[in-house]
Amino acid sequence: MVTAAGPAFLPRKRLDALLDLLREGGRTVIGPTIRDGMSVLDEIATVADLPAGWRDEQSPGRYRLSNGHGDRVFDIVNGQMSWKQFTFPPRQKVGEVNRSASSGGVSFLPSPPDPDRLAFLGVRACELAALGIHDRVLAGGTFVDEDFRARRDAALVVAVQCTRSASGCFCTSMGTGPEVRTGHDLVLTELDDGFVVDAGSPAGERLLARLPGRLATPGEEAAASAAVAATRAAIGDPVATDGLRDRLMDQLDSPRWAQVADRCLACTNCTMVCPTCFCTSTSISSDLDGTVNVTERVWDSCFNPGFAKVAGGNFRPKREDRYRQWLTHKFATWIDQFGTSGCVGCGRCVTWCPVGIDVREELAAIAPPALPVERAFIRPAAATPGRFEITTLRASHPETADTATLTLVPTEPVLLAGLPGQFVMVDMPGFPAFPISVSRYGIDHLLLTVRGAGPATAALLDTPVGGEVGLRGPLGQGWPVDRALGRDVVIVAGGIGLAPLRPLIDVLLAERARFGKILLAYGARTPADRLFISELTTWADRGIEVLQIVDRSGPGWAGHVGVVTNLLDQRDFASRPTVAFVCGPERMMQATTSVLRDRGISPERLFVSLERHMQCGIGLCGHCQMGPFFVCRNGPVFTLTELGDLFTRDGV
Amino acid sequence: MALSRIAGRRHGCVMTASGSLATRLGSTWFGGGLSSHARERLAALAELREVDPGAVLLREGADTERFGVLLGGLLALRVAVAGRGTATLMTVEPGDIFGWSAAVPPYRATSTVVALVASEVLLFEAGALRDLLREDEALVLTLYPRLLESVSRRLTATRTQLLDLYARDREYEPW
Repeated sequence: MVTAAGPAFLPRKRLDALLDLLREGGRTVIGPTIRDGMSVLDEIATVADLPAGWRDEQSPGRYRLSNGHGDRVFDIVNGQMSWKQFTFPPRQKVGEVNRSASSGGVSFLPSPPDPDRLAFLGVRACELAALGIHDRVLAGGTFVDEDFRARRDAALVVAVQCTRSASGCFCTSMGTGPEVRTGHDLVLTELDDGFVVDAGSPAGERLLARLPGRLATPGEEAAASAAVAATRAAIGDPVATDGLRDRLMDQLDSPRWAQVADRCLACTNCTMVCPTCFCTSTSISSDLDGTVNVTERVWDSCFNPGFAKVAGGNFRPKREDRYRQWLTHKFATWIDQFGTSGCVGCGRCVTWCPVGIDVREELAAIAPPALPVERAFIRPAAATPGRFEITTLRASHPETADTATLTLVPTEPVLLAGLPGQFVMVDMPGFPAFPISVSRYGIDHLLLTVRGAGPATAALLDTPVGGEVGLRGPLGQGWPVDRALGRDVVIVAGGIGLAPLRPLIDVLLAERARFGKILLAYGARTPADRLFISELTTWADRGIEVLQIVDRSGPGWAGHVGVVTNLLDQRDFASRPTVAFVCGPERMMQATTSVLRDRGISPERLFVSLERHMQCGIGLCGHCQMGPFFVCRNGPVFTLTELGDLFTRDGV
Repeated sequence: MALSRIAGRRHGCVMTASGSLATRLGSTWFGGGLSSHARERLAALAELREVDPGAVLLREGADTERFGVLLGGLLALRVAVAGRGTATLMTVEPGDIFGWSAAVPPYRATSTVVALVASEVLLFEAGALRDLLREDEALVLTLYPRLLESVSRRLTATRTQLLDLYARDREYEPW
């Protein structure tokens, strides 16, 4: 029994004691369980009803369950059911309107609330937020839904902090999770051998005091915090919410509404699975002589064609109207009405959309942030037009017939403080400056891998050892390594595109244990055109799956032949959180990202590095503009979400 | 070319039971997209083989005597160019198919299929496969879309290959 305040530790084998406590006073415990091969919320009569060892795999339009993943009972992030099923049922009698057969008089008989006493077990942070939103919408104003309020008041809430995330999750962006902060009676964080348990209300404190077990050790508390922090890192921050309301309302005429409506089936799934959607209609069932008329409140959806229909016509006849209504209400006008966004970032609308419409992608396309946040923060050396830092060529190492790696030694240390994927502007007498990605950062030097593609690069390759070269940098936004923490990583390189990816590989290998599986798929023109040939073997020995493919086979080559997408066509990236970093010719990146999306990586986790004509590298000369971006400053690394249609549009 | 001329080894009787072959087929990219009915009908025709490096499974221009699904290993699709020998145009990855021309007139192989490493294949004799397709419309309805998906992937990949994307470009000259 826990006798002091503070988080307790409940051994896994004593979970039954928690269920017993929750059942006291005739409560029924509701929690996640497996029924007909699906994760649902239903009565938990015994611990065995909880889904031990089951996990969900989600991606837009896809949901799969698998078991055999150990003993944990809260590893399913969520299913299509939310708790509103119990606080705001899909069909609820609100009363009867009866006519007396004898007198013809009419009586209105509202149904008094009569809620079951329930204990919700396994409520996620996002769902607590959803319950809180319903509190405001249905019970926080002048008019109150009494049935909802009674059901809320009658329920105990045992929350669970997320130690896994699904690919649709974006609670981090919506500010609702994964940490449980408020709205709960008890909160559990699941570890391998049990649960760290804390109270969030007086009722929860009373329960906690009666739980068997002991106080959690500092190590257990730290493990619980670390697991939730890892979940936060895995989710990242996929939706730019700053100013979203205004951005969205400025786009009521966006052509994207019609485009998304072409895909949308108006099936209403997104609104049915949404834990905050609250729109309803009234259903009346009469007996045969019309004396008893039962009135029920039933869930409805703004996607239904008749939802905005009045006698004179329909205010939202087109699907694009209805999609716009849903999205703008959820993310904009809800704030005006209730002081909070209507979205909690649970991701159900992404997963359960049968055509895989991803609300995060639509928000980014319809109402993109003015400019992406610049990820690099080191002020580059020589960041003034006309200025360059002198570096000395220490060595030149041939890679292929026309490509070499140069070792340059700067006196300015900032040049060595760059991030993977950043580049430098190279300047030599007689040539305009040109960008080259850094292919490795050393202690006192940096490596540039250069292909002699024209006069300027040929002159750079001809520079003798000891010769001087001007550099400005490090410049641009590199690969966001933090987005890969705790996730599987797919790196796809084409030709010389492997060079800017090598510093990323260096970082991943330096902290190998912090990342999941790493796959490098490398395509080159011929076997002789491959870069870093000896390192490819080294990387394979250090825990990277290295696959190589060439467009044209050559003597002695018994490996893969074809385009790099052949290596990815049959992979499944949907079952585990995965990020991808892609660099190569733009057409190759388009084909690659298309396959990666098909195989389950969502666009906000797909990063590409663009090449554009750059002369200054600091956003002043204007050459590298692409839509709203200066590729040199806002890129060269972008997510597919940031780029939207620009990525595949010709002539931008 | 008679099947027996393929250098290789037949698997034991346990592995060649059609039930387990249907399971093996279903675990591949190709078979995973077929109906269970199709997998079972095909498994009844299938023969599981291990082939050695260098084994020739089909010859370009000859009748396509078999259709196959690669379970493990790597196969090369090669074409001969007079005076230049043979060129490997692409490799077949595990899960994908070879010998699709066994199901498409004029039933002649469009490339030579060679095992690059020891490989495991499910083989379907072409004539028997066509007989089965003639009598089983449900099989046709599930097999051909998947077959076309594979061929379409190759077409798309070949187009990308034709673009020679990694070729050396002329440097942009801003002046």
